[in-house]
Amino acid sequence: MNKEMYLNPKELKSFRIKQIIGRTFLYLFLTIMALYIFIPFYWMIISSLKESWEITSPELTLLPVNRAGRVLWPWDWQWSNYKNLIYGIKKVEGSIGTEWQFRPMHFHLMFRNTVFVGLLTTSGTIILTILAAFAFSRLNFKGKDVIFSIFLMTMMIPGEIYVVGNYYTFSLLGWVRSANIWKIFGTLTLPFVGSVFYTFFLRQTFRQIPNELYLAAKVDGTSDFKYLWKIMIPIASATITTIIILSMIGVWNAFVWPSLVTNANFCEPGNYHLLVSNGLLEGLKTAMGSTEENSILNLQMAGSAMVTVPLLIVFFLCKKYIMRGVSRSGIKG
Amino acid sequence: MIEYKKDGWRAAIALAPMVFFMLVFTFWPIINAFIWAFLEDFSYGGKGISHGELDGYRWITGGTFIKVGIDNFKTVLTDGLFWDALKNTAIIVIVSVPLTVILGLAIAVGLNSIKRFQGLYQTIFFLPYVTNTIALGMVFATLFHQNYGLVNKVFKNIGFAWINGTTFTGTSEVTFWTALVVLTAYTVWNGLAFKIIVFLSGLQSIDKQYYQAAQIDAAPRWRVFTKITVPLLSPMILYITITSFIGAFKAYSSVIAVFGTGKYGPDGEPNMMITVVGYIYDKMAIGGTPYGVASAASLILFFIILIITMLQLQVSKKRVHY
Amino acid sequence: MMKEASKDIPKRGIFHDRVEVKLQNLTKEFVDKKGKVTVAVNDFSVTIPAGKLIGLLGPSGCGKSTTLYLISGLHKPNSGTIFFGDDDVTNTPPEKRGIGLVFQNYALYPHMTVKQNILFPLENMRVPKAEAQVRAKKMAELVHIGDLMDRKPNQLSGGQQQRVAIARALVKEPRVLLLDEPLSNLDARLRLQTREEIRRIQKETGVTTIFVTHDQEEAMSISDEIIVMNDGLKQQIGHPQDVYEEPINQFVAKFLGNPPINIVPGKLKGEKVVLENGVVIDSGVKQPNQDINIGLRPEYLKLSDKGKIEATVDLVEHIGRDTMLICYINEIGLKIRAIISSERRLTPGEQVKFECSKLFVFNKTTGERYK
Repeated sequence: MNKEMYLNPKELKSFRIKQIIGRTFLYLFLTIMALYIFIPFYWMIISSLKESWEITSPELTLLPVNRAGRVLWPWDWQWSNYKNLIYGIKKVEGSIGTEWQFRPMHFHLMFRNTVFVGLLTTSGTIILTILAAFAFSRLNFKGKDVIFSIFLMTMMIPGEIYVVGNYYTFSLLGWVRSANIWKIFGTLTLPFVGSVFYTFFLRQTFRQIPNELYLAAKVDGTSDFKYLWKIMIPIASATITTIIILSMIGVWNAFVWPSLVTNANFCEPGNYHLLVSNGLLEGLKTAMGSTEENSILNLQMAGSAMVTVPLLIVFFLCKKYIMRGVSRSGIKG
Repeated sequence: MIEYKKDGWRAAIALAPMVFFMLVFTFWPIINAFIWAFLEDFSYGGKGISHGELDGYRWITGGTFIKVGIDNFKTVLTDGLFWDALKNTAIIVIVSVPLTVILGLAIAVGLNSIKRFQGLYQTIFFLPYVTNTIALGMVFATLFHQNYGLVNKVFKNIGFAWINGTTFTGTSEVTFWTALVVLTAYTVWNGLAFKIIVFLSGLQSIDKQYYQAAQIDAAPRWRVFTKITVPLLSPMILYITITSFIGAFKAYSSVIAVFGTGKYGPDGEPNMMITVVGYIYDKMAIGGTPYGVASAASLILFFIILIITMLQLQVSKKRVHY
Repeated sequence: MMKEASKDIPKRGIFHDRVEVKLQNLTKEFVDKKGKVTVAVNDFSVTIPAGKLIGLLGPSGCGKSTTLYLISGLHKPNSGTIFFGDDDVTNTPPEKRGIGLVFQNYALYPHMTVKQNILFPLENMRVPKAEAQVRAKKMAELVHIGDLMDRKPNQLSGGQQQRVAIARALVKEPRVLLLDEPLSNLDARLRLQTREEIRRIQKETGVTTIFVTHDQEEAMSISDEIIVMNDGLKQQIGHPQDVYEEPINQFVAKFLGNPPINIVPGKLKGEKVVLENGVVIDSGVKQPNQDINIGLRPEYLKLSDKGKIEATVDLVEHIGRDTMLICYINEIGLKIRAIISSERRLTPGEQVKFECSKLFVFNKTTGERYK
């Protein structure tokens, strides 16, 4: 329904001009904001492909250049930064100090750990969430509403309170900062397997499946759990996929709990415990500590990129699921 | 209707795993947190800490304490570091939340009015949501690097040591306020994604008929926005504001990420921007410090957040329409 | 009452300023994403008399709602003109036409009270506060919701919400009041009540009112005139009873009337119609011999021993006041319905004879009725 339907030619012209000006400002605003969002990513990737001298030069270069100032082709960019990041830079013969100029960062181990913990956590979460959401949405039992309300209330309590308690629990077991990687994995996984948020979300979806389907299946003699398995889960598969993706992303980006319970001393290839976030932090800390150059920003950015890019790839593949899931959960708030 | 109690057993089976995990990892810790805050000098052995000659009581599951009392709270509330943390956190909240919410709303409204490229913009604005806090925090630190950062290269004459002059050059011009700028830039950057998406879906869910009716009622554009769009959006605005406040109060990882030293400030001042949550974790993770203090501090945090949330709900009663 | 609300809306006299609405050659086309063109309203011309309650009637998709929206200004016609009285409003935006529109779902602002909803248009017209309050109150009392002013829409029943929507539309003293399917969302009992309410309100205010419906009984019961539409084309306009008794074509004849009219194929020979089983009836129609359709309303079929139409009773439905017979014409096997008085009790299988007091003759291809 456009106002412009009704304007005569003279009015129309001034209207159009105003409209164009308005639109221009709007797009300008949105573009500036989009740049604000986008520039850090761009900077991260571009910097990771520059040479050290370029980083430290006072010139601002938007694309990697050679010493003469000419822009370089992509294949001339410093892909070796990534190699150095992963394998480290050994010190030149004869110089003082430790063996490494830049200690290698074991991204493959970080990834391995994180993916593994992610899979563990997510599988557990999915099983628990599906069962619980099913119970709350389809089954009738005494105290259903009461229990659900209690669950909801826990969502409002800040996570910091659980952290202290869970830290204590795992200390009791002796798992905190343990040398045994399986105990560490357990510590990292178990507290997050029971998630009220995902249960709530899935329950929403289950509830939208008409009750008639359930009754019809019952009349056909289907048991409850078979109904769950064969009908509800397939229908709700989009939501379940979203939960899986969000859960994996959550593990990838986790920082607080892993940094509390993993022991940073275990960062040698033989026994590597860290996840992505603290691996990055610790790795860079030790790496930078042992270098005298202050120009390893490019390596630092490469580290960030190593951690971010896989996630971005996942995002672009699953964009629909992620964005829809987040907006749905927001509306219900 | 299915008979009431018939599903009792099935429900029990289905819920058992979830309930078990919730009990162990959620309810138990919450209860403990409340209790430990009142147990003085509560410590548990763990690795490398000796029980010492503490002559006191044993807690059921392990750990000893001296007596029940509010000593922990006293410790926290008289600790200058705590008040620093509180001050820092408050400033972070006051500066970043209104900025993010208003900006988020403006962007959402803008996005809602364009057709072309709406999808592209939406995707870009959402990117920060799926990124790793630590990784991008470091990128922000780099952007604001005194010598090599994009910001200083663009604004050549400003030359602030925003956040990391110290780490690299050894001179310390990093002040709380310059660091705050960087942290705010990062917090806002991070927070926009979620808000935009919620506001946008809220805007899109407003029935077009209201706008048609308003058109027939000869409502001018600004009036349509203030009298129809905003009130119909008010539940979302409230939700976003409350969650933003809560989230900002829990600021922790972003501070760590931006300084990159594992602490809340440059090497010379590790506690420059310590936050309340940081305070809690420090009290807990550093071996030997009583759990009691950490619990007390976290309860205080919870309490503060609760008060603020209730205040917001109270204020909103008149203005939010469902 | 002589308040100049804004210089855009023409100065009007009293509320009962009755304008006639004239639509001339209105055409509205919609183009969907694939480029397919749908003609929703096709060269539609009609003059709606001032101060009357007019029902715009037709099946789903016939273009009646589109026509209503064209009159309101929310849609712009591809060609044609619209006049409110002497004003050509074809190029006037909706807010300046002086119309009130009641949406099918009422579109009441959910966050405002009833009072605020009604005041909203007046505020936009910059009516002074005191006067606005008075007008709002008067309007609320007119539609009988005076005591609900402080409630929110979700605290009202469907019927009450609708009355608020009507009050909101009328409070700006429009020249034309438009209602989009006002009774569809109400349950059966409420419909009866509400349609009488609409009639009453229209009479008291005198405003030219056009409402859209697909329910022929509704339209017939309260309209001063009805306009029947199909496929974007005007079929017939007139007093409901006239349209009922003298339909212009087969479509109109079938659309009006419950139970629906019986259509029996036959031949026209001279001035008589011949059914397939050979039965001959006078028709009073002078047209060349051809195949035609005969329209027999159920109430025109009367039981008579001299009746020429012989049929076998299949089902008997007693509807209290009347009895409906569902019969099959002998030798043809065509199903027909007849309404007879309940005095005679018949049983399935019985043979009956009908004579018809009136019949319609329709051209088999165009549906046009021959007189």
